[in-house]
Amino acid sequence: MKKFTRTFFFVIPLLLCIGQLAAQGVKNESAIGETMRSSGRIYVVIAVMLTILAGLVIYLVRLDRRMTKLEKE
Amino acid sequence: MLFLGIEEPEEKVWNGLFWVIQLFICINAVAKSFLQESRGRMLYFYSIASPASFVLAKLLFNTLLMLVMSLLSLLLFTLFLGNPVVRTGPFIGLVLLGGWSLSLIFTFLAAIAARAQQNAAIMAVLGFPLIVPQLILLMKISNATFNPLLTIHASNMLLLAALDIMVILLAVILFPFLWKD
Amino acid sequence: MSKTKNYMYKSWWKILGVVLLVYTFVAGLLGKVPNLPALEETVRNLYFHVCMWFAMMILFTISVINGIKYLRTFDIRYDIISRQYATTGIVLGLLGYATGAIWMSYTWADPNNPAFQSFGALAREPKLIGTAIALLIYFAYLVLRDSIADMDKRARISAVYNIFAYAMLFPSIWIVPRLLPSLHPGQEGNPAMNFKDIDASMRIVFYPAVIGWTLLAVWITTIKIRIGLLKEKKWQ
Repeated sequence: MKKFTRTFFFVIPLLLCIGQLAAQGVKNESAIGETMRSSGRIYVVIAVMLTILAGLVIYLVRLDRRMTKLEKE
Repeated sequence: MLFLGIEEPEEKVWNGLFWVIQLFICINAVAKSFLQESRGRMLYFYSIASPASFVLAKLLFNTLLMLVMSLLSLLLFTLFLGNPVVRTGPFIGLVLLGGWSLSLIFTFLAAIAARAQQNAAIMAVLGFPLIVPQLILLMKISNATFNPLLTIHASNMLLLAALDIMVILLAVILFPFLWKD
Repeated sequence: MSKTKNYMYKSWWKILGVVLLVYTFVAGLLGKVPNLPALEETVRNLYFHVCMWFAMMILFTISVINGIKYLRTFDIRYDIISRQYATTGIVLGLLGYATGAIWMSYTWADPNNPAFQSFGALAREPKLIGTAIALLIYFAYLVLRDSIADMDKRARISAVYNIFAYAMLFPSIWIVPRLLPSLHPGQEGNPAMNFKDIDASMRIVFYPAVIGWTLLAVWITTIKIRIGLLKEKKWQ
């Protein structure tokens, strides 16, 4: 049960970090930035889609693990 | 203790500081109301009063407590940190209204926290997200009292009062569920 | 209860959800979009990023409805349902944040954009605050749940908090945007519902997209609910 509390305190700083990194990462122009900005910034959309997909897949994998544990008991 | 750190702070800082201090006063004052009650006393109240009247009495008591505390802290603030308020009348009214709504929300949360048999820490966790918009609203309105050029929108005040009434209604409806054991 | 149980085992709405998502992806990438100077092609993110928030709010609403149902019937199954919808809602919210960070860093926070000043200015964004409040409320909800050992008491108290917090959340979502300046479109009220520049061609993709994502999230949640009910049965 404590697990959740731990995740809670872990996730909040992580979120802040993501935002901070995203804001800073753009400042120093890089090759990634160039690519992302090409052809009408369509790659931003791709990145967003991949993020959602990755998030859902990670979530499903965790769910899967929990289910397996439950079945073993 | 604050006046050691900053003397004569700027208006906006004064305002922000004031409301944050209010918030802390409220958490500490109101938290006591439910957390201090012993089991036996709760049982006694349970036998003599209906939950709705009990929660209303609690809300009323905490409101009065918070109003006194608000005035006290306002007095201390003007003593130690100077008084940048231009329009005193509306500001005092706003302080009372703000103190009222803070105490209402935290009374109900204290009831929840007390049923969960937890300390004041969980109350802060529960209350923080709920109180943020109200605090922003309060700071925004009270900013207007520092500057004679800005007007106070009556609709904002009404919004605040409507929120308070909603909290009371919710408390009366939901409290019976917390009450029985 | 049998009525609510049934829909979890039906497959038509799962198929519908997948079909709508396929439509979203195809039409969302190939369809015509208005060319806006600040957004360009990234306006297509409307079908992905914004839908996360919509689906999150819908799931939180379902969670509250089940909380109310619990208080009326004291059937522990409604409590399980309510809890699972809340957690899936949080996951969607986190995804919304992650995608929002990506989108933001190539539009608002772009160094080529003169409107961008500092990270602090972005953090004061009302939509960010509003959704942060929503997520924090449900984090607090889960923390509250974990802190109570007794099952019936936990269900009762957390349902009460859920309803109270949700009722407070709505005014705040409505209030805060009026107080703060915003970079977000849809200044007053709901974003994307009254986009001035969202034209008909985008709308016919956007609404199915919202429904599609929501159905997908509901599907995931029902699996979690089934696990929860199974656990519940095992304990007895």
